[in-house]
Amino acid sequence: MRSKLLALSMFAASGIAAVLAPAQAAPAAPSQITIGELYASSGPYASISMPVYDAFKLWVDETNAKGGVEMAAFGGKRIPIKLIAYDDQSSTATAATLYNQLITQDHVDLLIADSGSVLTSVGVPIAREHKQFLFDVSGTGAAFFSEDNPYIALMADPVSTIWPHYISDFLNDEGYKEGIRTVAILYSTNDFTGTQAAALKGFFERDKKVKVVYYQGVPTNTSNYTVLINNIAAQNPDAVLELGYVGNDIAFLRNLQDSGNQFRFVFTIYGGTEKEEIEKNVGVSAVTNTFSYVPASNYEYKPEVGMTQKEFRAAWEKKYPSGSGVAFGANAIYGYMTGLVIQRTLETTKSLDQMDIHDAVFALSGKLKTLDGTFELRKDGAQIGEVTPLGQLQPAGKNDVKLVAVYPPDLANGKAVLGK
Amino acid sequence: MLIGAVIAGIFFGLYFTLVGLGLNLVFGVMRIVNLAHGDVLMLGGVAAWALFTSLGLHPMVSAILVLVVFLVAGLPLYYAVVPRLLRSRDSEMLSLILFFGLSQMIEAMTTISIGATERSLPPRLMGIGPIIIFGTRLPKAWFYSAAASAIAVLAVYFYLYRTRLGTLTRAVMVSRDEALATGIDVNKVSAVAFGISLALAGIAGVFAPFIMGSITPNMGVAINLTAFAVIVVGTLGNPLGTLLGGIIYGVSLMLMQTYLSSWANLLPNLLLIGVLLIRPEGILGRKVRRA
Repeated sequence: MRSKLLALSMFAASGIAAVLAPAQAAPAAPSQITIGELYASSGPYASISMPVYDAFKLWVDETNAKGGVEMAAFGGKRIPIKLIAYDDQSSTATAATLYNQLITQDHVDLLIADSGSVLTSVGVPIAREHKQFLFDVSGTGAAFFSEDNPYIALMADPVSTIWPHYISDFLNDEGYKEGIRTVAILYSTNDFTGTQAAALKGFFERDKKVKVVYYQGVPTNTSNYTVLINNIAAQNPDAVLELGYVGNDIAFLRNLQDSGNQFRFVFTIYGGTEKEEIEKNVGVSAVTNTFSYVPASNYEYKPEVGMTQKEFRAAWEKKYPSGSGVAFGANAIYGYMTGLVIQRTLETTKSLDQMDIHDAVFALSGKLKTLDGTFELRKDGAQIGEVTPLGQLQPAGKNDVKLVAVYPPDLANGKAVLGK
Repeated sequence: MLIGAVIAGIFFGLYFTLVGLGLNLVFGVMRIVNLAHGDVLMLGGVAAWALFTSLGLHPMVSAILVLVVFLVAGLPLYYAVVPRLLRSRDSEMLSLILFFGLSQMIEAMTTISIGATERSLPPRLMGIGPIIIFGTRLPKAWFYSAAASAIAVLAVYFYLYRTRLGTLTRAVMVSRDEALATGIDVNKVSAVAFGISLALAGIAGVFAPFIMGSITPNMGVAINLTAFAVIVVGTLGNPLGTLLGGIIYGVSLMLMQTYLSSWANLLPNLLLIGVLLIRPEGILGRKVRRA
């Protein structure tokens, strides 16, 4: 009898232990996941920052409407997101203070950098020092990434050292066949465009087909290019590559049209990347037949996670109707896409430890396909998957242009038209 | 390239004469520093943008409207702010703080109203294609803005030297206390000068989208810095000095863009430091103080 009782109690105890075991393995779930983010509501980077911020808020609202993110680390429980966002007003000094505040005062679980290399640049060393993983939305400066820093990953844009290679490939290949022999490179002196300009110069010098005849940097706050364009024209280049932020591209394209100078190939970054914003400010005629990157806002990738581009645009326009002040463009997609990476990261991470976050993000590399293309990371955290095709803003009906992908051939949906 | 840079610099500098003229007038008459000057300029640009997008008004028409509205708006603003400021013990220093606050308010309210992104006017409104001067291609808008600036300088001179109110204004510029003692309605004279200053900034703002590519709510601070460089180089309080300062700034900037482009944004600071070290009273300093 005694042995039966003993066996029964052991069986009961083991049963209770078995029932309790999973609950004990899963740590206590937090009431919310805090995500810290910076944005710039004013200043020169507002036009690339606000779309990212608004799109990320859209993702947060959608996720919280479903009860939050389902986290395996906490037994599959849905945990809501709390977004703590501060306005750095496009100031790197303010951004540095606010990155520190998010980490040391708010103790955020996840940290998202402001849009663009300039405002990301101050966050990279701060995040590293505090061993906080930084979700770098679009800070593509090559100097941010090194193999001894595991606390960063670039989300949406390819790192600046590889991003512009389709431009040089096109000019060295199809451009060269069409008689392009010389190129002028005018860039804004910051991590984003400075690195791209240096990379392009290196590509041209390596391939020795197209010669760089003008290579000048200008301050990022340059708002007038008339004399610079005249100086470029004096060198008589076949192609002109202007690498700047939105305000730079607006001023350059307007001044180019005003100057009456014409070049066979003109490239700007934001002519395509923020097509609506640029068109609105410079007019259709100033961008017609210029070249640019083709971002995901103008190219239909088939997502395996999240909304398609059309669905996202519809959701954007519902939440931010026309006239609300922030234009839809590539940066809106980058913001939403960052939300998707965070979602998958939180779903799969072992814990909220920053190295576990790192492992979860890197585990997505090559496997995550969103409306922005394939998310693929290099060992140092640089984005190498989402390389944008080269496109041209070609006439489409009366007083309109469409962005046509022209290179590489496997991604092209049109043919480039070079000037005479 | 040298000749091209100099020619472009003269035209570009003439625009910055227009930018600095109002700021200098306010300092000359009231000895206060209007740190919201660049934001008033921005409002002029926003007004031109709003009038074009909502009513289709050509910027030249908008410039006339802006001139009138800003001139009139300057009068109550003067009476609301400046007399109290001038009664304080350190009005120059307090004016910095007060107008900095006003500048922040204008920027914030504009951002809330129209958003933070770039706004501009179609380039075709000023005519597509360049004007070619000695082989240098310049946008037509530069020509129009330089013409507007020249007219503004002449109008300010006409006002100061050919009108009774202008004569009284010059008296206030020499000594506010003595003008007051001789029975001049100093507040009336100053209010008109303040209104003219805002009107000049507003007109400069109408041309800003064509000169700077676009306007944004936060552009005021950079404009102020440049405008200060222009009027300090020329001489604080002297409209003719503003013309000289503007041209020196414009030519220097274009030469920097041509030969040392990466460092071009240092120019306003270099000019300010250089003039303050070598000739603190400005290039036309003496003449003015004894005018």
